Amino acid sequence: MRSYAFFALKRLIQLAVVVFAGTSAAFLVAHFSPISPVETIIGRVSGQSSFSPAAIESLRATLTELFGFDEPLWQQYLNFWSRFIRGDLGPSLIAFPTPAMELVMRALPWTVGLLTVAIVLAWLLGNILGGLAGYYQNSRLLKGFGVIAIGIQPIPYYITAFLMVVLFGYIWPVMPISGGFAMEIRPAWTLDFILTVLWHALLPAASLVLAGIGTWFLGMRALVSNIVTEDYVTYAELAGVRRGTIVGGYVIRNALVPQLTALAMALGGIFSGTIITEQVFSYPGLGTLLIRAVNGGDSGLVLAVSCVAVIAVAAAIFVIDLLHPLLDPRVKVG
Amino acid sequence: MTGPILTVEGLKAYYQICQFGQHLEVRAVDDISLQIERGEVYGIAGESSSGKTSLIKVLAAATRPPLRVVGGSARYDFGGKGIDPTTASEAEIRAIRWRHLSYIMQGSMSVLNPVRRIERTFRDFAQRPLGLSGAAYRDRIEEHLDHLRLPKSVLRAYPHELSGGMRQRVTIGLATVCRPDFMIADEPTTALDVVVQKDVLSLLRTVQQDMGASIIFVTHDMSVHANMADRIGIIYAGRLVEEGPTRTLFTRSRHPYTAHLVASLPVIGDTRPRPALEGRPPSLANPPRGCRFHPRCPLAIERCAREVPPLEAVGQRHRSACWRAEDVRPLLIPGETGQTAMVQA
Repeated sequence: MRSYAFFALKRLIQLAVVVFAGTSAAFLVAHFSPISPVETIIGRVSGQSSFSPAAIESLRATLTELFGFDEPLWQQYLNFWSRFIRGDLGPSLIAFPTPAMELVMRALPWTVGLLTVAIVLAWLLGNILGGLAGYYQNSRLLKGFGVIAIGIQPIPYYITAFLMVVLFGYIWPVMPISGGFAMEIRPAWTLDFILTVLWHALLPAASLVLAGIGTWFLGMRALVSNIVTEDYVTYAELAGVRRGTIVGGYVIRNALVPQLTALAMALGGIFSGTIITEQVFSYPGLGTLLIRAVNGGDSGLVLAVSCVAVIAVAAAIFVIDLLHPLLDPRVKVG
Repeated sequence: MTGPILTVEGLKAYYQICQFGQHLEVRAVDDISLQIERGEVYGIAGESSSGKTSLIKVLAAATRPPLRVVGGSARYDFGGKGIDPTTASEAEIRAIRWRHLSYIMQGSMSVLNPVRRIERTFRDFAQRPLGLSGAAYRDRIEEHLDHLRLPKSVLRAYPHELSGGMRQRVTIGLATVCRPDFMIADEPTTALDVVVQKDVLSLLRTVQQDMGASIIFVTHDMSVHANMADRIGIIYAGRLVEEGPTRTLFTRSRHPYTAHLVASLPVIGDTRPRPALEGRPPSLANPPRGCRFHPRCPLAIERCAREVPPLEAVGQRHRSACWRAEDVRPLLIPGETGQTAMVQA
């Protein structure tokens, strides 16, 4: 147990390094972006009425000081960290003066909820079906799934998203195609609200599951068709071990080890993927917020979204890393 | 409980494959007949790809395409309960597995599920055939491990935490825990060093004698046969060419192929060169006519290329398939401390 704690600590340090590097990169990108928040505000204000040049100059000086842009880069970087640790990344522009962090925190549960459900569902379904297809190679039904999987596997997630909208929003309009919940229901922990959230999440989640499941299915089927020739599977069959135990405990269980690693790697990519899905369904998540921030020239908000995304992805991979030795006893702990 | 536990009659099992658009029949097991008595250890010897493993696959009811049984029969007699592994249904076979018929597999490195603790594997394999649960089951397992002089701690271990010899001992524990009547062992000691090999063999022999079980085992290692087997069957190119008690086969072989096998064994202190056989084992897809050994046989006569010699009695429980069985002589006359000493080892 002590060695496991040591292993967890080591992974935690890795997590810290990844978060540090990722947020620093995000800070630099925001800093060198050609869109200056100061000029954006001035442009917006002076567009509405005329100001004297002196007033604009004084406004510019005030804003520059507010954002801390008059200080040297290293000082700004230190300030960024001291504020970031306290969870403050300055005011947002598009919803001035709401803090950027508050907008991010409002959007975060939507994205995390949608992604977790969609990824876990696609992973579980794809692996279970793929595992069965690899073991029962003569099953007609599972062969059919294989053909479907090969068909849908190359379709990108944004096409499946549009497909869902067209199918269930236009041709057969039974599903809500935009927003995270019905307008007439107030957000609260009531059954009505939870139901409307699930109802609204169904299409975006289905589009992500559909886009992901084929890859998991095919990967798992290939893994399993190798594992069924392993000696320990043959031996269990010769011993008359129950079929269900062989499929679950011998075949799929061993194939899950590499699939878990693949899940950790897929997590990194999927966050960027949902940006478009959220956009298609006008889902109130981080992706929609990021697009609004970029369009509004809100580099502070872009920075906030990026930092939170880095932390979220790194944390998810950290959790999977912690699960790895529990799934595979051969992983060296320590 | 009298009569042989296993009777094989005219068994034929071919690999039916399609290669380069041509249908091929590889005659891995071609007309093999043998009987194994209760409590007997029967060794099957032969070189690689002679059909040894195919034979025991059929006997273990593990025939998978492209291997198919095309003729003959095999019959187990488990106390009046007869079953033919070549025709029995999946459910019938499942009912006798491990309780009556168990298997020790080649390659101790990979026969245990790497993600399960040994106790979990024991439960998967043995709980249903033993029909025990809870404390009674646990006691039975621990008692059995004790009997095999295996520490109880192996139950908590994962396979990768055990040495190769330990793993093979665990496999023997797994195969014997239900006290089966018949065990099939496929190269049980390959990949183990000589010292561990000796341990594993004596363990297997002890358990077998305690239980009164029969074993059929396969290996190309003649010294293992000398130490393990009561009786040996020699397979060449899919056919049984000679069969007899171990000592008889090692000292008074009546088949030129066996004579060469025995003569190839190293003997301490004997530095004479070993007579080698010319040529290679024949292709089982297109075996030579007549006796399959005749192209390589130093005693071959014209008749050998024409007619297949039948497996006929040449002595006490000793059968040979050779037209010139009477003319076979040991190739190297053993010295005072020669092969006789090795057989006793």
